[in-house]
Amino acid sequence: MANYTLTVNGKDHHVEVDRDTPLLWVIRDTMKMYGTKYGCGIAQCGACTVHVDGTPIRSCCVPIEKLQGKNIITIEGLSQDGSHPVQMAWKEIDVPQCGYCQTGQIMTAAALLERIPSPTDEEINRAMKGNLCRCGTYPRIKKAIHEAAKLKQS
Amino acid sequence: MMTTRRNFLKVSALAGGGLAMAVSLPGTSAMLANDDISSFDLGAFLNIDTKGNITFLLTKHEMGQGSGTGLPMIIADELGADWSKITLKRSDYDPKFDSRLMGTTGGSGTVAKMWEPLREAGAAVREMLKSAAAARWNVSPDTLTTDNSFVVSPNGEKLEFGELAEEAARLNIPKEVKLKDISEFKYIGKPVKNLITNDVVMGKGNYGINVDIEGMVYAAIQRCPVYKGKLVSFDDTEARKVNGVIDVVPVPHLDLDLEGQYVAEGVAVIATSTWSAFKARKQLKIEWDYGKNGSRDIETYKKEMSESKMQHAYSKGDFDKQSVEEGFELVEAEYDNPYEAHALMEPINATAHFNGDSCEVWVGTQSGERVAQAVMKATGLPQEKITVHVLNSGGSFGRRYYPDSSIEASYLSKVLSKPVKLTWSREDEIMHDYFHPYQRSRHKAIISPEGKVTGWYAGLIRAEDYMEGLTRWEIPYFFDTIKTESSVIEGMVHVGAWRSVGPHSSSLGKECFMDELALRLNKDPLDFRLEMLQGEITQEGNDDFAKVVVSYRKVLQERYIAVLNTIKEKGLWTAPKKGEGRGIAIENFSRTVCAHIVDVSIDNSYNGFKVNKVTSVVHCGTVVNPHFGRGQIEGGVIWALSAAMYGGIEVKNGVVQRDNFHDNLLLRIDETPEIDVHFVESTEPPSGLGEPGTPPLAPALLNALYNATGKRIRKIPVRREDLLNATA
Ligand code: FES
Ligand code: FES
Repeated sequence: MANYTLTVNGKDHHVEVDRDTPLLWVIRDTMKMYGTKYGCGIAQCGACTVHVDGTPIRSCCVPIEKLQGKNIITIEGLSQDGSHPVQMAWKEIDVPQCGYCQTGQIMTAAALLERIPSPTDEEINRAMKGNLCRCGTYPRIKKAIHEAAKLKQS
Repeated sequence: MMTTRRNFLKVSALAGGGLAMAVSLPGTSAMLANDDISSFDLGAFLNIDTKGNITFLLTKHEMGQGSGTGLPMIIADELGADWSKITLKRSDYDPKFDSRLMGTTGGSGTVAKMWEPLREAGAAVREMLKSAAAARWNVSPDTLTTDNSFVVSPNGEKLEFGELAEEAARLNIPKEVKLKDISEFKYIGKPVKNLITNDVVMGKGNYGINVDIEGMVYAAIQRCPVYKGKLVSFDDTEARKVNGVIDVVPVPHLDLDLEGQYVAEGVAVIATSTWSAFKARKQLKIEWDYGKNGSRDIETYKKEMSESKMQHAYSKGDFDKQSVEEGFELVEAEYDNPYEAHALMEPINATAHFNGDSCEVWVGTQSGERVAQAVMKATGLPQEKITVHVLNSGGSFGRRYYPDSSIEASYLSKVLSKPVKLTWSREDEIMHDYFHPYQRSRHKAIISPEGKVTGWYAGLIRAEDYMEGLTRWEIPYFFDTIKTESSVIEGMVHVGAWRSVGPHSSSLGKECFMDELALRLNKDPLDFRLEMLQGEITQEGNDDFAKVVVSYRKVLQERYIAVLNTIKEKGLWTAPKKGEGRGIAIENFSRTVCAHIVDVSIDNSYNGFKVNKVTSVVHCGTVVNPHFGRGQIEGGVIWALSAAMYGGIEVKNGVVQRDNFHDNLLLRIDETPEIDVHFVESTEPPSGLGEPGTPPLAPALLNALYNATGKRIRKIPVRREDLLNATA
């Protein structure tokens, strides 16, 4: 076990865990923040997506020792009140079915729009294909990303 | 006018002021007999407080199908309520729900079964609120209406529901109420937003895997990789060295004597975090006794199927005799529909706290009733000492009907005397799934000298006897002779309900074979189906059930024809685009009928094809919420397309050969075709949408591939080599 300081959603957290502990489990089991989901543990589903210095990463596969000094944003820190354009668009299009995958989808989509403010369907496919949704909300996710791009620009 | 089933309703004063209504829905046997309700103190089902806040108690499971929004929409409309005043309260499991329609969620039946009782309940309360206002104004209640949570008089006076709730609570429940006309609905038929969405986008979704109980420890179980294998011994020396490990305990054979239930033997690691438990379980050295399943695999299973002895199920006329008559031709084909995994996004989990003389369980479940029964057996406690907190699910599709994780968690909590949170890894969820059973459908048909299909045979060989696919009401087409048979061969993995259960299995053979027959007779596949749907439905037998079957078949006949005619009228069944193939299939799930038209093009990809578009036409009666309805059909299509492209669980020496999303592939956003959903206009009661989108997809796809290539594939999944090797 070792001590680490993590900057999550703008706040420093001191945790004592094994150095190989994936960020996902630190967020969930140690910090008790449950918006970031466990889906596969092998970077195949995207349910655990968070931003590290603005880049979407699969938190299930990044050990905590690599995250010192980095700025981590989880779904809880994307906005205080659900007002991030991607969240607004998700509500407008009413994307979720069971909702389990959606926090990961939203984090990936938010990062995409930072990179490409107005993505094409093709660019959406490329950015989002790492995020699985077993309920099959893909058509709505695509619509919502276009909607979010509009909201962001206005 | 509609007579209220007054014995289903009870209205009383709400503690603290206001109105509380209790509702008791009939049991599942009510289809045949009138269910006698003797006691129904189910607690508040609908509350209206003096401020006009309306609380609706959700007893159904929310797993992505939107029941937590669809059900209150129905009651809100009958009441004339302001939607923004409605809040949802999720109910814990209550033994009073047992064998009622309220306690278990499944079979795409939530809205269908709750529709009428909820409307009656809403209408009864509406009339009582009107009567309370009428008494104040000294007018006849008949002159009043409700709107936006107000009772309104003809001259525009208004009283808010909250102001009337207490007075209304003292009135008698009306004997007769008039249900609203469809034109009066404000919410039903509109895309009202899902009540879970706000929480979901903030990361506040209320899933079982997020449960956090004071003092809980984390558990992971290494289970025997072979179905019904035994734990012989284990060495936990290395596992115990992992930081955070608290204990290692065996999970023995738990004999629960619960239908459909199976808990694998294994070894549990108890730790201070999920990660420690996951890490440590890999260090366990375990000796198993695999038993006879340890030498079985899919190839040997197929051989067992080929040699199986068939049991008679249903017959009309003499199929065998007709098949050998002079000038009649017998054609046959065989279709394989393999094992499928659920691969739910939220892995299976449960949290339990055994307290010595009571046990609490927190779990996303389709059946609190089954969880309670199972936990009783696992802990030895009486039912009244068990509390089941029902959380939302990150997808369920039949899987969370089975309480295996609650059994494991409560067993471990009892052994450890601590609250235990058990999380299955993704690998556990796939390898130890309750798989959709393997089914082989053997079909035969008799073609008369005049070129008419006069005989139909279905022989279904499968790993589980769902009693489905063999009965007269599951064959919508008309033939002079029909014969069905089945055979059950014990599977080498455990099986369970998987979105659409039997119809997904049986539709593949039935709807592909219909396509084969149509083309053989040089008929258009849609017109051929329409032709074969014409006939008079007659009662077979004299009991009540026979009558139910007749009325059921009539609904289906009408809906099949309406769906196919809608496709024609809308011009959806035309020649495919150049370079594409087009196929159609139609199936019912319960009373909902769904047809898919699939457009494919052939390429050099892993599958050898690409689905470009799916057009769906659905008849489900009233569409309560078109946004959800469309979403369920889209979801059903994507679900079935995953199975048709990537499904099929391989089993070698008893061990499932897939364990995560890298090998159990699921459809991703870039592979998702355009999906165009049409609903047949109807004012009939709603009949469910969670599952009907799944069954006709795979046969429509195989029919489209034939249309594109002239090659007949008779199984899923389809890979490029299947297309290359198939014969014309
Ligand atoms: S849990 Fe991290 S990608 Fe699936
Ligand atoms: S909404 Fe259920 S998995 Fe995506």
